[in-house]
Amino acid sequence: MEDRDLTDEQRLLHQATVDFIADKLPMAAVRKLRDDPVGYDRNWLCGTAQLGWYSMLIAEEHGGGDVTGHPIVDLAVVADSVGRHLQPGPFIPMNVVGAALSEYGTATQRKELLPRIAAGELVATWAPLAGDGSWDAGAGLSVTRDEDEIVLRGSRGFVVEAPSADHLLAVGTLDGVPVQVVVATSSVGVDVETLACFDLSRRVGRITFDDVRLPAPDLLGDGSGETTEQLERQLQIAVVLACAETIGALDEMFSMTVEYSKTRVAFGRPIGSFQALKHAMADQLLHLEGCKAAVAEATRIVDERGSDAAEIVSMTAAYVDEYASRIAQQCLQVHGGIGFTWEHDLHLYMRRIRTTTSLWCERAWHYERLCEVCAP
Amino acid sequence: MSEQIQLDEYRSEMRKWLAAHLPRRSADVPPGEQHDLEAEAVAEGRLHQREVYEAGYLGITVPTEYGGQGLSGAHERIWLAESSGYEVPLPAGVASIVTMRVVLPTILHNGTEQQKREWVPLILSGENIWAQLLSEPDAGSDLAGIRTQARRDGDTWILKGTKLWSSGAVHADYGICLARTDPGVPKHRGLTWFRVPLKDDRVTVRPVRQLNGSEEFCEEFLDDVVLGDDTVIGAVNDGWKVANSLLMFERGAGHVDLAPSTVQSRDEQSADLVALAGAAGMPDRDNRRRANMTSIVEQRTKDWVHETLNRRITAKLMRGAVHPAAASLVKLSIGTRGPERAIAGLEIAGRGAIAWPTSEPSSGDLADQYFYGRQYAIAGGSNEIQRNIISERVLGLPREPSYDNDKPFKDVIRDARKWISD
Repeated sequence: MEDRDLTDEQRLLHQATVDFIADKLPMAAVRKLRDDPVGYDRNWLCGTAQLGWYSMLIAEEHGGGDVTGHPIVDLAVVADSVGRHLQPGPFIPMNVVGAALSEYGTATQRKELLPRIAAGELVATWAPLAGDGSWDAGAGLSVTRDEDEIVLRGSRGFVVEAPSADHLLAVGTLDGVPVQVVVATSSVGVDVETLACFDLSRRVGRITFDDVRLPAPDLLGDGSGETTEQLERQLQIAVVLACAETIGALDEMFSMTVEYSKTRVAFGRPIGSFQALKHAMADQLLHLEGCKAAVAEATRIVDERGSDAAEIVSMTAAYVDEYASRIAQQCLQVHGGIGFTWEHDLHLYMRRIRTTTSLWCERAWHYERLCEVCAP
Repeated sequence: MSEQIQLDEYRSEMRKWLAAHLPRRSADVPPGEQHDLEAEAVAEGRLHQREVYEAGYLGITVPTEYGGQGLSGAHERIWLAESSGYEVPLPAGVASIVTMRVVLPTILHNGTEQQKREWVPLILSGENIWAQLLSEPDAGSDLAGIRTQARRDGDTWILKGTKLWSSGAVHADYGICLARTDPGVPKHRGLTWFRVPLKDDRVTVRPVRQLNGSEEFCEEFLDDVVLGDDTVIGAVNDGWKVANSLLMFERGAGHVDLAPSTVQSRDEQSADLVALAGAAGMPDRDNRRRANMTSIVEQRTKDWVHETLNRRITAKLMRGAVHPAAASLVKLSIGTRGPERAIAGLEIAGRGAIAWPTSEPSSGDLADQYFYGRQYAIAGGSNEIQRNIISERVLGLPREPSYDNDKPFKDVIRDARKWISD
């Protein structure tokens, strides 16, 4: 069902986004990126930056700016198109880094990095996860002080677009408390191993830090902020963008499925007239609409920094995680054999949906968080 | 005075009135779930309803010529928000909800000018409570397949048949009744709606004992009830059109609480499951505790998504931004959530839900939900009917071949019997 909740400005943003995608990177072109070692084109990245893909969460004085005064809501409009058209690149982590630097960075960090992130000239990604993929609040990356330097030892895993990133915002631990460090990937001792990724339009890396020496001012905000609160906020941003992106992909995939069932004929009838398939699709629409309702609410609450944002975000993530995979599986089921071919776009959507939800929406983990948030 | 100032004033007057006249709602009794009502309580409830009506808070958007206030939807929304913490009188429980949210809009949309002027004020003031006479022992989800007949006799109609599952009909004054007025045409084309006086000598209303032992629903035996043309609602033989508008009201409007979700409302909503987990000895056994906690947050999550979905679709329906059939998504959401949650509750409670000391009769409520959680999966059009509506009207999927749409109704049952014996 069409969503008519957009403002006029958001409608313009949406139109400019889909026009750009249709012109520069439609599905046929996305398919070809599978064998590209970087996974996207840097000129294309600068084009997406001009549309505001990486600048909405950055303050205006650093080259950022949103559309309606509700930056997260505006950005969710873009995220929907990113998912719907399987756009590659560092969309989610680059926005998280932009937001973190803009809110918590030192004057130097903001000045040096933010205008270049907003313009797409510099690729930045966020590295919050341990090598095994767990959310370890930085435990797997030790940061120690050595006079006016810091030394990084350990690893970060499942870092999206790490192989092409110029800078990382890595989560580590200093004196037993979490910190975030701005690290150039060209620093001596940083090793990025590119992993094979289920999502053919994404490059995921594992990063090893082998006595990486950096000036102490490379700690985010000079190490003075409340990192736990920062991580919470950054996580919330990543989750709502991941959910919005997933909804775009799911919605597109589901529409494809409904249309296909109207045209494919078997036993003398369009297969979409069989009650077994109609009921399955009605159920999937219910789940999809549930996901949309939850994500719209979560987006609004994160944008407003509502006091219950952590709870709403985790409920939304858990729900989307469960139903996105179910809906995707059912779409494949309705397509039958034709959906099992490499040439069909269906598997590209399934790969994107599963990868995004695994990265940010893992149900078991969010339920555990909720057990703490809502403990009676 | 600007519209906003007027609305603010309206709200503050309302607050004062509510605080002075209505009791606060207690958290553990959901609105409208008063089973097994006594006649005296109903009579008293009617007087309370009259007070609310006379204060101007019932029929807020109903035109003044029909006894309403003729105000805007914004005024009505203020009432919904402000009154949600109070016991708003529903003298006959579910029958009162049906009267206000289903029968009233159906009459306003389909009634004649005279019917609206005569009937609507009596509904608003609580003097007349209506019940729906829709389902029958042999027809429910296939509503157009009902067997009750209204036969023309001179300038009157003679109504004969049996109706079933009418909520609160023992306390109601009238029934809005669907009957077949022409069996010689296909099923959708020979139906007509009537207003049936339930206190008539030729009407017998009997409570039906349900599987959980309670008696909320009734059956009605209509034994040659004589009705005049002035009781016909909508056009003769064009009853299916009216049915569609009535069912839409029933699906969309009946069950949605539009108050915003808060941490507190979510805590209250999951409190029953938390209590069950406590009673199941949760603190003593770690694995069980963990499983129960996860189950509670899962149900909390799904209850919240369900509410959020309903608010979103209801808002879209109100603005006309979606196909009216999208109301079936709300109904299907209720019809799937209830049973799932009931089973989660049973799992959390463990064996405590199947046997309990006789001194604690309330422990049986949970096992009861095992039945009752399915109520909305069946009532008001089963989940399967909602899935048909969603797939055909919202998604635009092709209809299945029909075995009864194109033949006279009198041949339908005969042919179906042949199918079984073949």
